[in-house]
Amino acid sequence: MSESTPLSPDVSWVELRTTSADWDRADPELLRTMLVQMQLIRAFEERVLELAGAGLVHGPAHSSIGQEGGAVGSAVTLRPGDGVNGTHRGHHQFLAKGLAYLARDRGGMMGLTDPIDGPTQAFLERTLAEILGLEPGFSRGRGGSMHLQWLEAGALGTNAIVGGGVPLAAGNAWAQRQAAAAADPRDADVTLSYFGDGATNIGSALETMNLAAAWKLPMAFFIENNLYAVSTHISEVTAEARLSGRGPGFGIRSWRVDGMDPLAVHLATQEALAHMRRGDGPAVIEAEVYRYFHQNGPFPGSAFGYRPKDEERSWRDRDPIQRVIAELTSRGHLTAEEVDEMTEIVSAACSAAVAALTEQDPEQKPGVRRIRPELWPDPSFVDVGVRGDLSELAGARTEEAESFAGELAERKFIDVVAEVMHARMSTDERIVVLGEDVHRLKGGTNGATKGLRDAYPDRVLGTPISENAFVGLGGGIAMDGRYKPVVEFMYADFMWVAADQLFNQVGKARHMFGGSGTMPFVLRSKVALGTGYGSQHSMDPAGVFATQPGWRIVAPSTPFDYVGLMNAALELDDPVVVLEHVDLYASTGVGPVADLDYQTPFGRAAIRRAGEEVTVLTYLAMVQPALAAAEDAALDAEVIDLRWLDRASLDWDTIGASIRKTGNVLIAEQGALGASYGSWLADEIHRRFFDYLDQPVQRVTGGEASPSISRVLERAAYAHTEEVAAGLARVATNIAR
Amino acid sequence: MATLLNMPAIVADATDAVLHAWMIPVGAPFSAGDALAEIETEKATVELEAETAGRIAHVLVDSGTSVPVGAPIAVVAAEGDDAAEIQRVLASATTAASSTAGTVAPDGPGPETVPGSVPEGAGAALAAAPESEQAPRLFASPLARRLAKEAGVDLDALRGSGPSGRIIRSDVERAIGQRQASAASSTARPAAQTQPEPPTLVTDGEAGERIPLTRMRQTIARRLTESKTQVPHFYLSAEVRMDELLALRAELNASGGQKITVNDLVVRAIALALAEVPQANVSWGGDHLVQHRTSDVSVAIATEGGLFTPVVRGAESRSIGAVSADIADFARRAQDGKIRPEELVGGSFSVSNLGMYGTREFSAILNPPQAGILAVGAAEPRAVVREGEIEVATMMTCTLSADHRAIDGAVAAQLLRAFQRRMEQPLSVLR
Repeated sequence: MSESTPLSPDVSWVELRTTSADWDRADPELLRTMLVQMQLIRAFEERVLELAGAGLVHGPAHSSIGQEGGAVGSAVTLRPGDGVNGTHRGHHQFLAKGLAYLARDRGGMMGLTDPIDGPTQAFLERTLAEILGLEPGFSRGRGGSMHLQWLEAGALGTNAIVGGGVPLAAGNAWAQRQAAAAADPRDADVTLSYFGDGATNIGSALETMNLAAAWKLPMAFFIENNLYAVSTHISEVTAEARLSGRGPGFGIRSWRVDGMDPLAVHLATQEALAHMRRGDGPAVIEAEVYRYFHQNGPFPGSAFGYRPKDEERSWRDRDPIQRVIAELTSRGHLTAEEVDEMTEIVSAACSAAVAALTEQDPEQKPGVRRIRPELWPDPSFVDVGVRGDLSELAGARTEEAESFAGELAERKFIDVVAEVMHARMSTDERIVVLGEDVHRLKGGTNGATKGLRDAYPDRVLGTPISENAFVGLGGGIAMDGRYKPVVEFMYADFMWVAADQLFNQVGKARHMFGGSGTMPFVLRSKVALGTGYGSQHSMDPAGVFATQPGWRIVAPSTPFDYVGLMNAALELDDPVVVLEHVDLYASTGVGPVADLDYQTPFGRAAIRRAGEEVTVLTYLAMVQPALAAAEDAALDAEVIDLRWLDRASLDWDTIGASIRKTGNVLIAEQGALGASYGSWLADEIHRRFFDYLDQPVQRVTGGEASPSISRVLERAAYAHTEEVAAGLARVATNIAR
Repeated sequence: MATLLNMPAIVADATDAVLHAWMIPVGAPFSAGDALAEIETEKATVELEAETAGRIAHVLVDSGTSVPVGAPIAVVAAEGDDAAEIQRVLASATTAASSTAGTVAPDGPGPETVPGSVPEGAGAALAAAPESEQAPRLFASPLARRLAKEAGVDLDALRGSGPSGRIIRSDVERAIGQRQASAASSTARPAAQTQPEPPTLVTDGEAGERIPLTRMRQTIARRLTESKTQVPHFYLSAEVRMDELLALRAELNASGGQKITVNDLVVRAIALALAEVPQANVSWGGDHLVQHRTSDVSVAIATEGGLFTPVVRGAESRSIGAVSADIADFARRAQDGKIRPEELVGGSFSVSNLGMYGTREFSAILNPPQAGILAVGAAEPRAVVREGEIEVATMMTCTLSADHRAIDGAVAAQLLRAFQRRMEQPLSVLR
């Protein structure tokens, strides 16, 4: 008979309930502040529902009515430097953090009789304008209800992807802890990431719990458990419906609390804040709340049949606003008249916000309102700010190998990769490198980060195998702006694992939040075609990145250009993916010996071989095969190494001049056909240079399937010199050569 | 009532013309006499004038398009025409265009035939079908199309060497090269004596500059190539003693008024010679000869824009003053591009004179369907033998090119002799 010893988590998991003594002890001013904030949020949300009912909210209006206690109880004492983010249902959290920020000079307190000062009224109007998609909004109407961001106040941006904001919050917390380490490590700013019961079951939230706990990040996973993911009850989708139970398994101290009791939320949060600020790691706070209405719109959930009316009634009976009124009144800290007066003031403030943005529709009967037409954003704003304006590159020193004054030598590519990062980390303390095994194995699996950990121990971070979490963490660091993340993907294919963070979050953030923020994010992505790693480790990601707004793509084919392109990538305020190739790692080429401080000219391709009869467009590890094929080709090929691949950085001048000369184009790339880079480029070339083409743009790619493990099948699956030669022959045949 | 505006037959033998530019925008009203469009023919650009007032309701042909003569180019609306009326006329324009496409070939064999077999007679019908159907779609690369358009190369005439017969750049360049090569070999016309371009096309750069061909240059190239390659030329030369003629000319010019040039006298002399030898005043008509009743002499006039050959009509029956005035007027208007198309057509014989450039002698390419052209060199003092003695005389070499299909050697010799006699007895030129 084997022996079993009961095990328990190393961290505590408690349910915190208030007692009458807690309410006796509580500061009446704090309770009155929470009352005002909750009432203000409710009145605001009621106006939003009215506007939604009138058809003036384009898109969903996810009401937070009923859940005010969780947001206000947790945010009321947050400092300006603390951050919050949230999900699609985020009005109340955004408002709570904003109100706390606006009251920072009054110790965070709001009075009953004069709660709405000018900045507060403006805040309400600006928030409502954003929800309505109007120019005066925080993101000039781009973000709307689900993407509310006010960085100045520590509102990092709500998120329409369930759980999508959680990794970003971890990045913000990392920056806060790193900054605190230099100031007061026992008093860090913290980040609260609000999400719901639904998000508790998604990978990015759970991955982030693990990562935040491993790195002891000062962040709280604040679970607003309102029991329903749209119409699906929590008991249907998890066996542990006490969602704070997720925490202990990751080693995260966890609290469970009644979200309809704002004081309980407040007290639990105070304990968690102390824990986080002193550097003991993250916290999970689960607040059980209830949304009185359906997922969105002005109808109760019962109207859709997924829950009974008496359930809704029983929760409404425990309304957080009424609870605070009752507790304060019973202790003589509040009168019914004061409540009525405050409710009146708050209601008027919300009505004024509505009136500022809407007006009587002149073509409808009295009472029918419309958006004030002058408040709509200008349609020409639609693509503004997808990326930055490149002003950060102004005055940069740029170099080409041909005209470089410094010492050049035949350099091993991989050595230069590590050296340039070393050089930049020594001059720029903001740079932080993270990825799987980047801190071990003498510089990761390929030596690309060799020596960095020893030199910069707190800025070279080996991550768990959680691409979504550590990419999002990088995104949060970049959005914060105090640090500059360089994230490494061991294999490019992991892009799909982290796709939400790369493309929905990092790529879109600048534009989605109005174009005023920055996203200085560098992704080093290794292409491993030809190494026998098979179907799931052998993609060239350039084609996919090229389709995604916001991303810049650089593809260095020489050690010299690696230095210049990496330096440019590190300087850019846009997300940049630096493509690296294992074939190049092992190669040698011309590179600098000591001077690692130049950039490659922005948006400039390199003509590697001049020719007259066909333009070969290629990049990365296909440059050399293309040059080799060109030597034996029937046509005189001009081989252009594109270097900057995304549509906003591509060198159309060089490409255009070449095409006008040759009339024939071959795009040569190594990877599989489906997601190939050349597809969009060929499209663009056909439309820009149609009258200069003597034949359709020809392309060399790998096969349809992803390369296999078997050596011969793998070789058959990707393109190399022989395939480029065949492509050139095809071009020649088409012009009868 | 709305009407169709058709491409006019501006030049008698032209089968098509280019609508160079619309001068009245769609919808704008115009009055009778207003210029509606510029029509570019092989010879000149002329304005198409409105016969009545109206407005252009629909343009059927874009600027720069070559259109068969007689094809509709616009719908012209009169005052009060409504949209339905315009639509009706528009529809008739489409019908008119498609009716010229002819009948459609039968789909296939009749119902009682065995599948797979072709009934007797059907072969002939099927074989005939392609001719009556619309021309098959032409495949050409965008680059080839652009180059062809710039160079005025007719893609229909090319055979594509690309995939599935696609016409590609090299096909167009070859056509341009061939055209240039043949144009360069011509010596008949001053304009053709410009520096020949190398046969292979260069791109802009150190090697040279590409100059797009004007329509006139395209025409010169095409017609002279046809003439030199298809017409059996033969050449006869004669030396003309000019002393008396020059003395007479000096006398004429001393009396004031219109200055008579040597060329005026040459034109008049050849016109009289043609009247004297009417067998030489003919044109080749393919299956017939055309006997001209008058001597209509085309006079080559070089301008910066190219070569014009206006016709001095009835030169055998008009005074030297009238002929001279005609030629002077042509020369003046040619420089301004004001030669009217009708002045360019119908000559029975040409004179090309390079004497003023010091050219001693040359031979010219015929201008079909004309059967003769006289190439006139410079009058210069030469040593000549007269009655056994060498003496100095002013001599001029003239070379007659003749179409052997229309004129035999003896006839040509007679013509040249008649011309020479009149030149050397110049009073006969004045009569």
